[in-house]
Amino acid sequence: MSELPPTTSVKRWLVTTNHKDIGILYTITALFFLLFGGVLALLIRVQLWEPTSQILSGLAYNEAVTAHGLIMVFWFLSPFAFGFANYFVPLQIGADDLAFPRLNALSYWMYLFSGVLLSISFFQGGTLSAGWTIYAPLNVPMYTPSIGSTGAILALAMFTIGVTASSINFLVSIHHSRAEGMGIMDMPMFTWSILATVWMMLFAFAALLAAGLILASDRVLGSVYFSATEGGSLLWGHLFWFFGHPEVYIVFFPALGAMLELFQTFSGRRLVGRKWVIISICLVSVQSFLVWMHHMFLTTINLEIKTLMMATTIGISLPFDLIVFSLIYTLIKGRIQFTTPFLFAFGALLLFILGGITGVFLGAIVLDYEFRGTYWVVAHFHYVMFGGATALIGAAYYWFPKITGKMYDELLGKIHFILFFIGFNAVYFSMFLAWETPRRVFEYNPELQIYHQFGTIGAFVLGFSFFIMFYNFAKSYVSGEPAGDNPWDYSRTAEWAISSPPPLENWPNRPSYASGKLEFVKDYVPDGGPAVKTDANGNGTTDGGDTHSEHIKKYPYWDKHPSHASIWPLALSLAVGVLFLGLTGFRDNVVFELGESLTSTGVTISNPVYPILIVIGLVGLIWTGVKWGLEDFYAPPTEFAERWPFDGVEKVKLGMWFFIASDVIVFGAFLSAAIFVRYNAGWRTWEPLTEALPGLINTFVLITSSFTVILALVAARRKSRKGLLASLGATILLGFTFLAIKMWEWNKEIFERGVTISANAHGDPIQASIYYVTTGLHGIHVVIGLVIAIFLFIRAYQGHYLDDERPIEYFGLYWHFVDIVWVFIFPLFYLF
Amino acid sequence: MIDPVILQQGSDWRAQAEVFDEIFFIFLALGTLVGTIVVAYTLWNVYKYRDDGSEPKEDFDAPVVGELPTGQGGPKAKKLFLSFGLSAIVVISLVVYAYGILLYVEEGPDTADESDIEILVEGYQFGWEYEYPNGHTTTGEMVVPADHRVNLDVTSRDVWHNFGSSELRIKSDAIPGETSEVWFSVSSEEVEAQGGEATYRVECFELCGAGHSAMTGQITVLPQDEWEEWYAGTQSENTSNIETTSAGNAPSVDNAIIRGAPT
Repeated sequence: MSELPPTTSVKRWLVTTNHKDIGILYTITALFFLLFGGVLALLIRVQLWEPTSQILSGLAYNEAVTAHGLIMVFWFLSPFAFGFANYFVPLQIGADDLAFPRLNALSYWMYLFSGVLLSISFFQGGTLSAGWTIYAPLNVPMYTPSIGSTGAILALAMFTIGVTASSINFLVSIHHSRAEGMGIMDMPMFTWSILATVWMMLFAFAALLAAGLILASDRVLGSVYFSATEGGSLLWGHLFWFFGHPEVYIVFFPALGAMLELFQTFSGRRLVGRKWVIISICLVSVQSFLVWMHHMFLTTINLEIKTLMMATTIGISLPFDLIVFSLIYTLIKGRIQFTTPFLFAFGALLLFILGGITGVFLGAIVLDYEFRGTYWVVAHFHYVMFGGATALIGAAYYWFPKITGKMYDELLGKIHFILFFIGFNAVYFSMFLAWETPRRVFEYNPELQIYHQFGTIGAFVLGFSFFIMFYNFAKSYVSGEPAGDNPWDYSRTAEWAISSPPPLENWPNRPSYASGKLEFVKDYVPDGGPAVKTDANGNGTTDGGDTHSEHIKKYPYWDKHPSHASIWPLALSLAVGVLFLGLTGFRDNVVFELGESLTSTGVTISNPVYPILIVIGLVGLIWTGVKWGLEDFYAPPTEFAERWPFDGVEKVKLGMWFFIASDVIVFGAFLSAAIFVRYNAGWRTWEPLTEALPGLINTFVLITSSFTVILALVAARRKSRKGLLASLGATILLGFTFLAIKMWEWNKEIFERGVTISANAHGDPIQASIYYVTTGLHGIHVVIGLVIAIFLFIRAYQGHYLDDERPIEYFGLYWHFVDIVWVFIFPLFYLF
Repeated sequence: MIDPVILQQGSDWRAQAEVFDEIFFIFLALGTLVGTIVVAYTLWNVYKYRDDGSEPKEDFDAPVVGELPTGQGGPKAKKLFLSFGLSAIVVISLVVYAYGILLYVEEGPDTADESDIEILVEGYQFGWEYEYPNGHTTTGEMVVPADHRVNLDVTSRDVWHNFGSSELRIKSDAIPGETSEVWFSVSSEEVEAQGGEATYRVECFELCGAGHSAMTGQITVLPQDEWEEWYAGTQSENTSNIETTSAGNAPSVDNAIIRGAPT
């Protein structure tokens, strides 16, 4: 643990784990990517000025379109929202920080370095040019051969890992650290929207991670999933849209949360039908996973499924109807203040209404048939996704005084809004008028030129308006009026009850809503004085009979101060970035020539840089991981907290359960892919590639190792160091036995039977790919488990875990999960 | 004697474009109406309840910092459900209506099957290849007769494309390893109106690589007699091709005419 330097020090921003610092880092980085994606958008608009323009080549145009989409959806919209979520969700729920501060820093640095990877990909022979939907098989090296294409895919995979870590962190924080008295229905709407978002993220991004890993395997290792004609293209469509539709709401919900907050604050009215809005949000979150095939109406899926998807699609629009009307009725009889934040939030509602109505058009399959792949779709999703983000711009103005302590310039803010709103509608409404233009095309029907030119002008106005915002924020930060703690008349949420900017540990005393309103409770006074309560307006009362102060004395937390700084999140992310950068060029620069056996297999390395990067990245990953594990970093759980529905579950355990839930989706996607392709190839035409016996032995090996992990936990609870070492050691040995049998099996397949990841002497090559990639993913899980087990073994040898056996228990959860996955893999690949 | 307008024997036959235009118009009209009402109502209320600096009304219950959030109930909640119910009825009835039309579009008009023209469309980087029943292939331009239902089997030989013509309001994914179907038909009146030969622009609607923008083609619709003449002419150049590839069921001129153009 190191001390946290002051904000003026560069080092502060490299080591901080404080949620407010990280929120600021997210926001600024996201705004950089807004500029990046915005410049690409302007390039696209310039190309569209004339129907036969050739400023960019066809390939360069495709790269611009792809990178614009990827950057705006992944590297701008969600991170921009999560800048605010980082800063304000802990404040709104009365927590000191997120549940896992180092993990939070890790998510940010993974995000940043994934963005760096994506930026580097432009210089690796050109970035990906397959569209942000990355349809197969255009996404495989045969059609997009550049190293940069692989770079963009790996950047996306890395981003996804960061998002998963972040989702787990927010889920545990919101479910585990709400201030006393704040039930789940009492949470502010912004926090509610983030909770729904991270629940969707946990599962949706797991599907994207699976899709990204399979694609990375195709591109780096040479498997043939997405070029297979046995359903490879449709497989990508299903995996991508299973993620892609929830993604729409993942992007939109934080903006909706901002709208719900701002409408209340600037009208002085409380939300109409609040309970029903929350129910609607929950309904949408669940339904979002049941509509994905409406993106595939023109593929070969049958009419029954299309009908089902049409029904669920219309179903999902209804909760939004209710939310929109609730927003409108909230304003009625209010005292509406037309501040800049309100104008943006209100503008977002108007844009969303238009986006929603045009979305109903797309829900009708007959219309969708014609709109598919046209600018109608482009216009619609910009109205929904960027229209939603409009509310987040409002949120930036709304919270600017809290974050900086200074007031922004209201006049400049209003000018920004006017130019923004005009430019927005000029560029995106003109797309509705030019809707017959195919997407991602620059040689279009000349009759539509007038609309495209109008749109291009609008795009420049829209882009320019942001510079007013940047100027406004910069000027106000330097020389703005002091904003005070609460510049808004009708704000309600807890962030306005503390100073601007808030102190490092947020609260003067423990926040509590136990009395029905926010109070700051002083539970334990070192000199033995009475416990003190202070309400949100600073009026103090003493409370002699507080049982909580008795309760808290039993806990030894007060002699240890929470940590706020660690360099390892940055270092670990950097190592992953280096590893992934090395992997981008692996296939082009490292060529294997299969011989008779492993020893006679030749390796030709044409450019040593990439393999060297892989080695550095791997070594760095293990080194930083171990340093992370050894670091004395103290992040205490919130002592008095509302935890429904996870009362009584310790926070790290809860995090482990969320991780396993997301990993279930990853494996589920891999296994579904295997089943989907096999079904398309003809189920009975495939026989297992391998003999059943090694798989059966391995099944017993893993089940036995699950048993020894339980023995390790029992030994740790009995404080038996010998027993702990013996059972952990047995687990490790069994793990290595499993891997050795696996290696023997693969060796036999490759050198005796001619079955490799991209070729199959006995049938469809895709069958071999699926076998290696699915069992390989499981094997990687075993390897990671073994690394952790060896770490635990060494620590146990040094005498740890006898007082606190929880790390053994949580490792056991992971290890059981890996074993259970094998129980599904075994029949699918060895028996049938 | 050629039956002049085979498709129009069925009373309910309509072109895809006509179907689309009707449903699009209805959605557009209702969408504009609902949108205008909602936006106008909202704008009016936002103006009406603006903070003009006057004293707050007595029933104005301002929220305070640190309160646990509560919603507003009462008459507004009733209004909320009324509006929600109304909008749900509009949306659901629109979709039910659209679904009835979908069934027609999926099935296509009821025709005597032997009069249909079957064409295999194969997308490639970057163009379209059309294969006619007699094995003849063309690239770029598809030539079909008026007044017949044309069934397209669309696939791809490399990456995912999307075959579409905005003017005809038809579209179909072209996916390697999959075959999707779409039909269209152009009346002889339409062909005459365009001067004896109707042409429609074909574009690719799915990003497929560097040449995606230029992946255009054309559908040419000829009057039946002219098309038959053209089609008979394709026979000679294909004879050798057919013998080597599909000798078993090589279509003869008669065969082609029976399948493609009944006389």
